[in-house]
Amino acid sequence: MLLLQLLINGVQAGALYALIAVGFSLIFGSTRIFHFAHGATFTIAAYVFYYVYSLLQLHWLAAVLAATVAAVAFGLAVNRLVYTPIQKHEGSFFTVFVASFGVGIIAQNVCGMLFGRAFVSVDTPLSRSVELLPDLYVSPLSGIAIVIALAFFAGLQAFLMRTHTGMALRALSDNPGLVRAYGLSPQRLSMAVFALGSLLVVPAAVLLAASSGLQPALGHHIMLISLAATIVGGVGSLRGAACAGLLLGLAENLALNWFEPQWSEAVTFIVLFLFILFRPAGFFGRTTVS
Amino acid sequence: MLAYLLNLATLICINAVLAITLNFIMGYAGIFSLAHAAFFGVGAYTAAYVAMHASASLFLAIPAAMLVTGLLSLVLALPALRVRGEYFVAASLGLQVLAVTVFSEWKSVTGGLGGTIGIPPADLFGHAVSDPVEFLLLALACLVPVILVTTVLLRSSFGRSLKAIRDSESAAHASGKNVAAIKTLSVVFSSSLAGIAGALYAFYMGFINVESFMLDTSVLLMAMVIIGGTGTLLGPLVGTVLLMALPGLFSYMSFLPQTEIGSIQQIAYGLAMVLLMIYRPGGIVGARSKGAA
Amino acid sequence: MSRITTMLKAALLACGLLGASAAGAADVTIGALFPMSGPNASYGDIFGSGANLAAEHANADKLLSGKLSIQYEDSQALPQAGLIGMNKLVNVQKVPYVLSAFTGVSKAISTISSRTRTVAVNGGGVGPDLAELGPYFWNVIPLANVEVRSIIPYLVKERGLKRFVLVYVDDPLGQAIRKEMETTLPGAGGELVQALSVPVTAQQFSGVAARVRSANPDVVYIASYGSQQSQIVKQFRDNGIKQQFASYTAFSIPEINALPEAKGSLYTSQRMDWNSQDPVTKRFVDDYRARHGKLPTAYIANYYNAVRLFALLAHDLESKGLPVTGENLLKQRVETKTFDMVGGKITIDENGTVSMPMQINEIDGQGGKVVSAAEAG
Repeated sequence: MLLLQLLINGVQAGALYALIAVGFSLIFGSTRIFHFAHGATFTIAAYVFYYVYSLLQLHWLAAVLAATVAAVAFGLAVNRLVYTPIQKHEGSFFTVFVASFGVGIIAQNVCGMLFGRAFVSVDTPLSRSVELLPDLYVSPLSGIAIVIALAFFAGLQAFLMRTHTGMALRALSDNPGLVRAYGLSPQRLSMAVFALGSLLVVPAAVLLAASSGLQPALGHHIMLISLAATIVGGVGSLRGAACAGLLLGLAENLALNWFEPQWSEAVTFIVLFLFILFRPAGFFGRTTVS
Repeated sequence: MLAYLLNLATLICINAVLAITLNFIMGYAGIFSLAHAAFFGVGAYTAAYVAMHASASLFLAIPAAMLVTGLLSLVLALPALRVRGEYFVAASLGLQVLAVTVFSEWKSVTGGLGGTIGIPPADLFGHAVSDPVEFLLLALACLVPVILVTTVLLRSSFGRSLKAIRDSESAAHASGKNVAAIKTLSVVFSSSLAGIAGALYAFYMGFINVESFMLDTSVLLMAMVIIGGTGTLLGPLVGTVLLMALPGLFSYMSFLPQTEIGSIQQIAYGLAMVLLMIYRPGGIVGARSKGAA
Repeated sequence: MSRITTMLKAALLACGLLGASAAGAADVTIGALFPMSGPNASYGDIFGSGANLAAEHANADKLLSGKLSIQYEDSQALPQAGLIGMNKLVNVQKVPYVLSAFTGVSKAISTISSRTRTVAVNGGGVGPDLAELGPYFWNVIPLANVEVRSIIPYLVKERGLKRFVLVYVDDPLGQAIRKEMETTLPGAGGELVQALSVPVTAQQFSGVAARVRSANPDVVYIASYGSQQSQIVKQFRDNGIKQQFASYTAFSIPEINALPEAKGSLYTSQRMDWNSQDPVTKRFVDDYRARHGKLPTAYIANYYNAVRLFALLAHDLESKGLPVTGENLLKQRVETKTFDMVGGKITIDENGTVSMPMQINEIDGQGGKVVSAAEAG
């Protein structure tokens, strides 16, 4: 039964990781910007939710809305104020990465100053597990997480396949020059990408706040997972990022069956490292290694 | 007060070695490694182990640290050979996280989270270097050769090959350079010198613990190199002095709440990184726009 | 700038200078390395409240010729940060006496403490290694081996709980408790079915909970601290662990006592009779209650005692005309041996540790109650 329990825990974690990873992969695949501050978007969304729901004691819908606004605003702001000026003058990978890193550090510490560095969690009866089968405990929150993840993916798929903006985004990741030639504005599109990518982080942030709690340094861990999932899944492939996110969530939890908990983070990175060595293109990657 | 300044100066020397070696691979070879703190740690733990189990002689501890770190860096060199840019960053990040887990778990060698206490003072020709002034001289005696060797290497054809690889790997390859060997050599070189810094740190502190070798430290080192100016000879030194003096400066500003000083420091250098990248990517010492180094 | 502003500024400056000079010639500063930020900051507040009260009392009683004040440095409960703070206290402030907390931090600073002959006193950490950190490292709290040894007989014999699962934080404290359990349980008739370590920074315990459940214990002993232990308790209950929880003094913090999921948990702490009529204890309890509106806990009393110990020793040294240095403080302590502290007369052994009677508490959501007075370990 232990294995089955760990499997279910893994699926729940994997669903949330997949959401976050897809957000990052979308941004990275379309704009080639290494948005290290994606982890910060997550942290901000989670803390805003916590603030509005637990501290201001408002209805959870209001809290979710506030978190969404905060996340999207942050993503757009970083793109507008930091990445765009850099890309105007030279925009090498290194410069953008470092700037994004700087933003991440600032956001993490501001959250720490405002909310304290201790762990905070959102109290909700939904986190209490129910014994579905003997010795198999699943909380309503896990079920909600999986359903929401699936819903968002379906929505994203529809958006990318059916709407004009969606198709333009896919074109952008293939060939930005051609997109411009067609009269579409890459700047406008990249704004859409950042908004969308940041939006995807919100459900994961809210659910994580309710299930395991927050601390400012969480952004690092989230970023690590997004990065690992994007690479393992293959840069440019959203499906790959989602699958890889799920895989990493499963690996992290299943490892507990054989190894001490300390090693679960290391397991993620061993997987990543091996992929980079032997198959940098990842599962579904199309791009070549430069 | 003098003790405090000596302490600061010694730590600046140790960090300068780290910053210079990181700049070597980041600024010149274009290899953005987030795993430098891991090599710092390996050097420190090796030196501590040797000092506590064999002999505290510097002539044993430092070469041992360099050897172990150099060998281990081959693990990092492997992905460096195959990928660049974001992939390499991810691989180095993975290595850093893995290293921290090993440091925390390999209790018989590293002492786990409790760290290694009671490291004996460094032994130089039978004389125990425990006086702070003497140690500072020792640290300087290690820093100066590192600066010299790095400078000489960078000015030589090896350095030119590195820059060629950074700017365009395929062109370098086409002109007959053994890209793989040069990259590997540069990683090994940079890491083994970082091992020296680790050994010095272990002897200086008398106590080492995994906290000093985590991702935060890698980030700080990266900040030093970037803010000072990558791809320049003076940049890492400037960056080191600035970022090491910052905490002291902040603690004198008594209007800042004591408990928040750590965060404020981090915000300060995060902000510096962002602003510099927007307006002056070459760092303080570097050129206005990159590519002129 | 108007004349009035200039005059005001001059006046302020003058007041500042006057204030500084009024500080007195024989003022003494001692140091304190507490977590003031980070996940364990609540301990810093708790420990500090006891220490501050003791300094106030010492000054009110004029135990020292000058004023006693405490310089706090933030250790964040991390060894490296603690070391930096210790360096500052010893090299810049030149304190003869430092209050320390947390096993890891204490171990880290012990080398400087010995080298510079600065006394370091621990009132919170309980790792048994703390008894072996040299003559300048003192403990006013009984160490973990005593705590574990006190609760095991009670749990096994009086509650009939034989199968133990230990969940411990993977640092010197946790490892020490594990070792203690492994040696003590078999002899007491119990069994350590499983020992699960968790990383210090871990906050997600559903996986660990699954493993605990599959081990099918009678009681789960939690050896952690700070907000992590609250998370463990909450998540374990959320994930279907219904068994009895047990722990050590770390469970005495208000955070855990207010947690509904912790109800019924048993933990050990020093036996402190808050209703005692002994003058030192009574004054401490009364003033603490007046100021903070609640009864103190053992941690608070320990750091009160640590500061009081300094005041008593320094008083003796001053009356002998000796300078208040670490060396002299050590000599004086060895000479005096027994001191009137909160909790009665406390004797400090040769190796700088104390042994005290322990008590077992149960969390009932209303401040806790004592269920057993265990014998001294």
